[in-house]
Amino acid sequence: MIPAQFDYVAPSTLEEALAALGEHGDDAKIIAGGQSLLPVLRMRLNAPELVIDLGRIDSLRGVRDDGDALVIGAMTTHSDVVTDSLVREHALLLSKAAAEVADNQIRHRGTFGGSVAHADPAGDMGSAALAMDAEFVIAGAGGTRTVPATDFFVDLFETAIGEDEILTEIRVPKKTGWGAHYEKFVRVAHQWPIVAVAATVNGSGGTISEARVALTNMGSTPLRASATESALAGASATEDGVRAAADAAAEGTSPPSDLNGSAEYRWHLATVLTRRAVLKAADGA
Amino acid sequence: MDLEHTFTVPVAVDAAWAEFQDIGSIAECFPGAQVTSVEDDSFSGSVKVKLGPISLVYNGSGTFTEKDDANHRFVVDAKGKDRRGNGTAGATVTLTMTGTGESTDVNVHTDLAITGKPAQFGRGVMQDVSDKLLGQFVGCLEQRFNQGGGGGAAAVEAPAPVEPTVESTSSHEVPSPPVAESTAAPADETPASVAPAPPPPAATPRPATPPTASGSGDALDLGKTVLPVLAKSYWKQAVVVLIVIIVVIWLIAR
Repeated sequence: MIPAQFDYVAPSTLEEALAALGEHGDDAKIIAGGQSLLPVLRMRLNAPELVIDLGRIDSLRGVRDDGDALVIGAMTTHSDVVTDSLVREHALLLSKAAAEVADNQIRHRGTFGGSVAHADPAGDMGSAALAMDAEFVIAGAGGTRTVPATDFFVDLFETAIGEDEILTEIRVPKKTGWGAHYEKFVRVAHQWPIVAVAATVNGSGGTISEARVALTNMGSTPLRASATESALAGASATEDGVRAAADAAAEGTSPPSDLNGSAEYRWHLATVLTRRAVLKAADGA
Repeated sequence: MDLEHTFTVPVAVDAAWAEFQDIGSIAECFPGAQVTSVEDDSFSGSVKVKLGPISLVYNGSGTFTEKDDANHRFVVDAKGKDRRGNGTAGATVTLTMTGTGESTDVNVHTDLAITGKPAQFGRGVMQDVSDKLLGQFVGCLEQRFNQGGGGGAAAVEAPAPVEPTVESTSSHEVPSPPVAESTAAPADETPASVAPAPPPPAATPRPATPPTASGSGDALDLGKTVLPVLAKSYWKQAVVVLIVIIVVIWLIAR
């Protein structure tokens, strides 16, 4: 289908983008990589009067070292997150998760910021960012504010980003030397996960000292598997050592039931995928 | 496509039917709904649906084409058109009340025809959307209730896109609300799960499917939260919101 008619601007600075957003408010829509918005427009599930393209704002792109954290521009593509050497060194989980996002073409257009701002509960980057304790830098007319991942994801397709605000950066505390793995379960290749697990693990000599685990598509937002994380501290990085901790992964979750599986099925998947993810992550720690 | 919903209210059928005659203050409480006019057996208005990337405004109208006092049955014809996106929908809603002594079973049958295409989302959002909308609706009603007010005009808005070829059925069970107590939902409070059937084969990658009673934690929560509030005073609004929700859900799911 062809989208309803809209005006289009592609400002070269964040200030101009914010001004355009402030002026048009509800009638404007921000576009990043367009991998989620364009289908929505084409299906006419939204018909904004103005589309504001962030693609020409260079300051929103790229990865920089900021002491104990990495700062990833919201417009950095998944593909760049996969290959970036800083990300691979200090936030390996993000690189691993980004490598699993859809297919190669989408990874070259779709952006890290766009993906988390869209906040699809089945989106891959949300749980990875949550597991990394990422912080989200949001700019508005009155300046910028920083929101922790736990407060950023509010509900299904809903984040802490206000109507007149733009996500500019994701700050990721360094986890240098941690192993990481993103275990994604799909029925069809390149599809949204039925369930996926993001895990990053620190440790040595076959023992896990610290672990961060987050779940994709087990609720309306990405979820931390806190019980699993505490149970993993001090566990041995073996199938048996990890099993009990992984079994607690789905505790307190309310996953959806759909054609791909019931809630019970997802609960089971979460425990199995957590075990796999943690073991593979520990392998690289 | 046909949708079937049933639930029970704890009043005798005549009282239930009588209460339903003053269908006021319903759409006012539905998120994004505005009633522009009500006259005799017709009403018109708009519904704005906003969820993440989705934003739709539907204008529409409805008419009570049949009202059978003896058999406690009425039929509403409603249709709507998306203000900007050109999607349309029509619905014929048949509501029947059956008395069972102290309580009344209410059956809502909806024949829905929507035009449009399925959305490309991570998963079928119907369940989630219904939870969310119903939650907001009930919250609004609660607020009004606490303020001791009711009021407002009534409308059932029926917009939405549907593929004519889609043929499906689904059922929605909203069991009897507890007469007095609030949050302590007993075991027989089975979930209120809106469960439209999935779209056609070529449709969304992961459409929602009718969940079973035991299958969905969301649905259970919904039942516990919503049903007590819908008790006695507001069951009739619930009837109408059900209709609205079915329509909205389908319009989003397409």
